[in-house]
Amino acid sequence: MAYQKIFYRLILRPLWRERLRSALMVATVALGVAVVLAIELAGEAAAGSFRSSVETLAGSGDFEVTATGGVPAEVLARLVLLPHAFKLRPRIEDYAVIAASNRVVPFLGVDMLADAGANPGNSGADEFQRGGSIWVGKDAGWKPGSRVRLTVNDGSADYTVRGVIEGAGEAIITDLAPAARLLGRGSNLDRILIDVPPSRPADQWESILRAALPDGMTLAPRGARTEENRRMLAAFRWNLRVLSYIALLVGAFLIYNTISVSVVRRREEIGVLRALGATRLSVLGAFLSEAACLGLAGGIAGVALGRVMATACLRLVAATVDSLYVSSTPAPIALTWAVAVAGIAIGVLVSVVSALPPALEASRVVPVEAMARGRRDHDVHMHRWRDLALGAALAVAAGLASRQPPVAGKPLFGYLAVLLLIGGAVLATPALVSVLSRATATAAGRIFGVEAMLASRSLAGSLRRTAVLVGALSTAIAMLSAVGIMVGSFRQTVLLWMEDRLRADLYLRPAGPAGADRHPTLAPGTAARLQRIPEVAAVDQFRAYEISYNGLPATLGGSDARIAGRYGQRPFLSGARPADVFAQLPGRDHVIVSEPFANKHGVKRGDTLELPLGGRRIHFRVIEIYGDYSNERGYIIMDRGTLLKYLPDPSPSNVAVYLRPGANLEQGRRAVENALAGRKVMVFTNRSLRKEAIRIFDRTFAITYALEAVAVFVAIMGVAGALLALVIDRRREFGLLRFLGASTGQIRRIILFEAGLLGLLAEIAGVALGYLLSLLLIYVINRQSFGWTIEFHWPVTVLLSALSIVYAATVLAALYPSQVATQLVPIEVIHED
Amino acid sequence: MALLRFNHVSKLYSGAPALDDVSLDVERGQFVVLVGRSGCGKSTLLNVAGAMDFPTSGEVVLDGVVTSSLSETALTLLRRGTVGFVFQSFQLLPSLSVLENVELPLLLARRPRASETALDRLRQVEMEDYGARMPYQLSGGQMQRVAIARALVHSPALLLADEPTGNLDSTTGDVILKLLQNIARKQQTTILMATHSVEAAEIADVVVRLRDGRVQEVLEPASGP
Repeated sequence: MAYQKIFYRLILRPLWRERLRSALMVATVALGVAVVLAIELAGEAAAGSFRSSVETLAGSGDFEVTATGGVPAEVLARLVLLPHAFKLRPRIEDYAVIAASNRVVPFLGVDMLADAGANPGNSGADEFQRGGSIWVGKDAGWKPGSRVRLTVNDGSADYTVRGVIEGAGEAIITDLAPAARLLGRGSNLDRILIDVPPSRPADQWESILRAALPDGMTLAPRGARTEENRRMLAAFRWNLRVLSYIALLVGAFLIYNTISVSVVRRREEIGVLRALGATRLSVLGAFLSEAACLGLAGGIAGVALGRVMATACLRLVAATVDSLYVSSTPAPIALTWAVAVAGIAIGVLVSVVSALPPALEASRVVPVEAMARGRRDHDVHMHRWRDLALGAALAVAAGLASRQPPVAGKPLFGYLAVLLLIGGAVLATPALVSVLSRATATAAGRIFGVEAMLASRSLAGSLRRTAVLVGALSTAIAMLSAVGIMVGSFRQTVLLWMEDRLRADLYLRPAGPAGADRHPTLAPGTAARLQRIPEVAAVDQFRAYEISYNGLPATLGGSDARIAGRYGQRPFLSGARPADVFAQLPGRDHVIVSEPFANKHGVKRGDTLELPLGGRRIHFRVIEIYGDYSNERGYIIMDRGTLLKYLPDPSPSNVAVYLRPGANLEQGRRAVENALAGRKVMVFTNRSLRKEAIRIFDRTFAITYALEAVAVFVAIMGVAGALLALVIDRRREFGLLRFLGASTGQIRRIILFEAGLLGLLAEIAGVALGYLLSLLLIYVINRQSFGWTIEFHWPVTVLLSALSIVYAATVLAALYPSQVATQLVPIEVIHED
Repeated sequence: MALLRFNHVSKLYSGAPALDDVSLDVERGQFVVLVGRSGCGKSTLLNVAGAMDFPTSGEVVLDGVVTSSLSETALTLLRRGTVGFVFQSFQLLPSLSVLENVELPLLLARRPRASETALDRLRQVEMEDYGARMPYQLSGGQMQRVAIARALVHSPALLLADEPTGNLDSTTGDVILKLLQNIARKQQTTILMATHSVEAAEIADVVVRLRDGRVQEVLEPASGP
């Protein structure tokens, strides 16, 4: 009881008295926790299940058979004839666009007679075979008898809803035969799901099945694809998570600062308490409890805020997952008790850990010690060169860590290098602040007057507090700059890449839904029709298939190598000319691979890839690696002729059209559209395709900017709180200045100058650190996570705008504290001690 | 005409009187000492004298101006030009050197030649060799000398000193009192000083004894028998 009283009087009551400052600190913790929670919840909802949306109605079977280009129907016949009680579920899986809403939904062909789950009404076979009939999942919201217009590949037609199926989400379902006809699958299936009887262990069944399947078929336990997706998305989620921790890290700095200020201000009080019988442990406990209170309140508020922010994050994360990785429908955001408790625990833990150094310092105060307030600043001042040397040592360690390879595909040493570099910068901050503030004091005084001189002297005098504040703000600015430089460099690299890579005048793809793992096709005769147009010089048909390579999804493609060689401009990574490389593709089992594929699978020039194609296992030689930024899954590209030899489906996924020199682009475009009249084909000009690509790029990185903005916002709130603390702590000094003839305007200007100088120091340190961090992001973390080579570019305009906004916000954050300072009553504060 | 006139000044804090109908004239060049027990109103009288606080009733006339009639800007200008303050706990800014502390009032008032004037005042208090030092490198007596130099740097007509020897040993305190006395004599600066020091009362032109916020008696030891 006695402890509770002391805790209330010495900890809670002061927190309550300085409500605004306490609220700011709670808000910084809350934002830090909220960002981490929002990213976790949104990541889990967007990709948490990692199940492709075509998994609808797939049940929980044991094995699945797939093959690049489809599983021939004979394979199903072979499996049916095996003398075992297998339950076989053949499927055709694709996507359709609902014309009315432009929404993409799974389009499935299943054996409706045999699959009880898909045939609740026990309809007859005739009804299933009839074209134009569809069954829909309950979530689609249609009733039996509704008419629906759907676009599949490059065709569009009206369908009648015959029934509604429970548990099918919003999928559209038909029987196998009409689905195969509509999608041009011929006699091929996309997947056969197999349920095996429990009479034997799974590995025995797997051997039996494998023996029964022809070469080129892939037999995998069910869930293998989900596992592949999980692995593929791991790096994406990791990087998002790490970014989300930055706001928390900045918040930790500020908690450290708050508790440090609290300890400095109550030093004498602590001494008296110790003299009156308080133990070291109870003093330590009291300050840690103060931090825990801030953390608890921040954690609770953070969980609520995180839930709200998760909704906004989900849209961005889901769009990125869909366009770069896998077609998946986001699940609802699920804030469980466990997640909420974890969020609150993070708030408390971060606060308590950040408060540990100042709380330990408080516990070491000897009874009735009246140590001068400037003592700790003096210590920091004395140790600044030693700390700078330590900081330099950490920077060297960061350099060494950055040279280490990834660990299990994760750039763990890259993250370590980032932490070491931030640690080094924090240690170097007192020396930087000391040198810069002293160097600028005289000049500032001459240029801006006595207020600027007093402000810079005060910052240099309170070196400890200033260093922590500059450390917090500069860390946030550094991450903002680093991510800004990385994304800006990436954007510029992609723009230059598109300049070289996209040489055709027009690009065509089916209006049906495309995505990283969706490759709808155009009708087989499309290219022939286009070649008859007088304005057209050449047509390059590209066909893409989803494959699994080494347990990770990838894209297999076939392109007309002669045309690519004729028009290609961008050299390969080895420096080889496109014409020379593409000349080696036709008629041979040669492939080129994209850089992300090569990095992900450790593939080099001259290596051999074994790919299961058309019922055989074929060995392809990798002759070159090319730079590619269109998706992260990675490409294996061969000549179209070679691809057709193994997978004889002539339908292209997309087509590039080169017009004759001097041909009018608009006329050419109209001619192409006329030639394909009646087909649902999207025609992009070179310019509009680039615009679309950059739009997707910007959308992908929007969340990155949002996370950085939150971290900076947290830091600025922290600066506001710290300046308020500074005003309260230095009220006697401000009172004295009034006695010495300072006007209220001068007091206000002193604080605004302090904020301005803090902001300036933080920006200098932040940009310097940000530059180094951007090198780590570009050349280590990004490369090891995603396999992309990014050329370094300074995004000058973006960076200058962001830094100006941060600077203005930092100065604006000082307005309220400066108002408080001007309202202090000098005679009340001058005698306080 | 008196430099400073208290005309039936009363000051209430939360209903309790800190000053109660005080009337007093302080002439130019006078060294006036306020004595009395703690809480008798000495500091309050100094605060209203320096226009840092204002009477609840009555008026304070400083250099011919009623302080409570002035705007915030005019009050700032009055403090910059007419009043200097010395405190018991020195109140030097720890982040500024000795010279910078002394020149601070001139800089705040944007007066020219601040450094030269500050150095001159440091010379007057025999601290000219300490200009580059920081306050924590000085003894209590040295800090108070610097504080006095700062209070005088803008040549105020009125120097208000609140227990300037309160934090010093008696020998150092005597030195500070002598210094103040010299300043009053040589520069014709009016000094109003609150103190518990008996020695201070002996060197003053006028001793005002306060009790419960009222003037109990006014003595003029120097002109006495």
